[in-house]
Amino acid sequence: MRAWILLAFIAACGGSDVSRAVGARCDDIDDCDDRCLGPSNDYPDGFCTVDCSDSGDCPDGDCVERDGGVCLFRCSGDNECKFLGPGWTCHEEALRANPMQKVMVCRG
Amino acid sequence: MSRLILLALLPSLAFADEAVDGPEDEAADALPDQSLGASVGVTGGGNVTPGGLHVAGHYLYQLSEQDWFDGTIGFTFGSGGAGCFRDRMDDVVCDHDIGAGRGVEVTAAVRRYFAGQGKFRPFARAGVGVAIVRYGDDDLTGLAIPLHAGGGVRGAVSEQIAIVAMAQLFLGPALFGRGLGSEPQAGITVTAGAEFRLP
Repeated sequence: MRAWILLAFIAACGGSDVSRAVGARCDDIDDCDDRCLGPSNDYPDGFCTVDCSDSGDCPDGDCVERDGGVCLFRCSGDNECKFLGPGWTCHEEALRANPMQKVMVCRG
Repeated sequence: MSRLILLALLPSLAFADEAVDGPEDEAADALPDQSLGASVGVTGGGNVTPGGLHVAGHYLYQLSEQDWFDGTIGFTFGSGGAGCFRDRMDDVVCDHDIGAGRGVEVTAAVRRYFAGQGKFRPFARAGVGVAIVRYGDDDLTGLAIPLHAGGGVRGAVSEQIAIVAMAQLFLGPALFGRGLGSEPQAGITVTAGAEFRLP
């Protein structure tokens, strides 16, 4: 009986730090909801993201100026970027809405 | 003397009760030994369990005084949209909405009817199904074997026709392609429909 309850709980609750919107690995746009930043030194193993003009457009993270305005996960140190995989570290980037303002985000 | 009058009246009182619930009403309330039914409702799923509009056909066959075999074929039509992705560990993860996906399922179940009130008979239902699950936008197909448990109520409209409302939970394992592997299926279905006595 307990096994079935656990099974139902697992089925009902699914979870991930990333999503098709922001954070999932990708090779092309079909892997993402909106945009794929393909595998590169800046985005190891690819990075699904959302085109944005303001951080309010981001389901998660902040909207930065690079690549025409994309959402990246915020961080305060390299350790907070480790969940994205090898090669990801914490960098300072300009906000899309106000390029004079800087924010710390994860990228390669 | 008054007691004798009372004793004489007792049989007539019993006859009056029978007259209120006549032979036509009893025939309408009796459960048919075989019937066909159709139902429509909704299924709530999520993750890799399809949800949405649910349409089903039923065949009922009497097994005993209280139990009926309930063979069902059901179709679930949910919304589209991709919901699978690769997480940072390169594992495939699927997180679809509660009303997404499509499925077709054949179920073998047993209904146990309980004593009702008037034309209404409540029942419990339990069974097992085999289902094919499909999320087209993710090109994801799976085979599921869910267990069903629930109940409902049957209301006789006439000797030939009855209306049925039912709710059930289902839970079981499923095997998917695209590297997703084994995932649980869990959901709830609520339907209403009609059943027709077979000659």
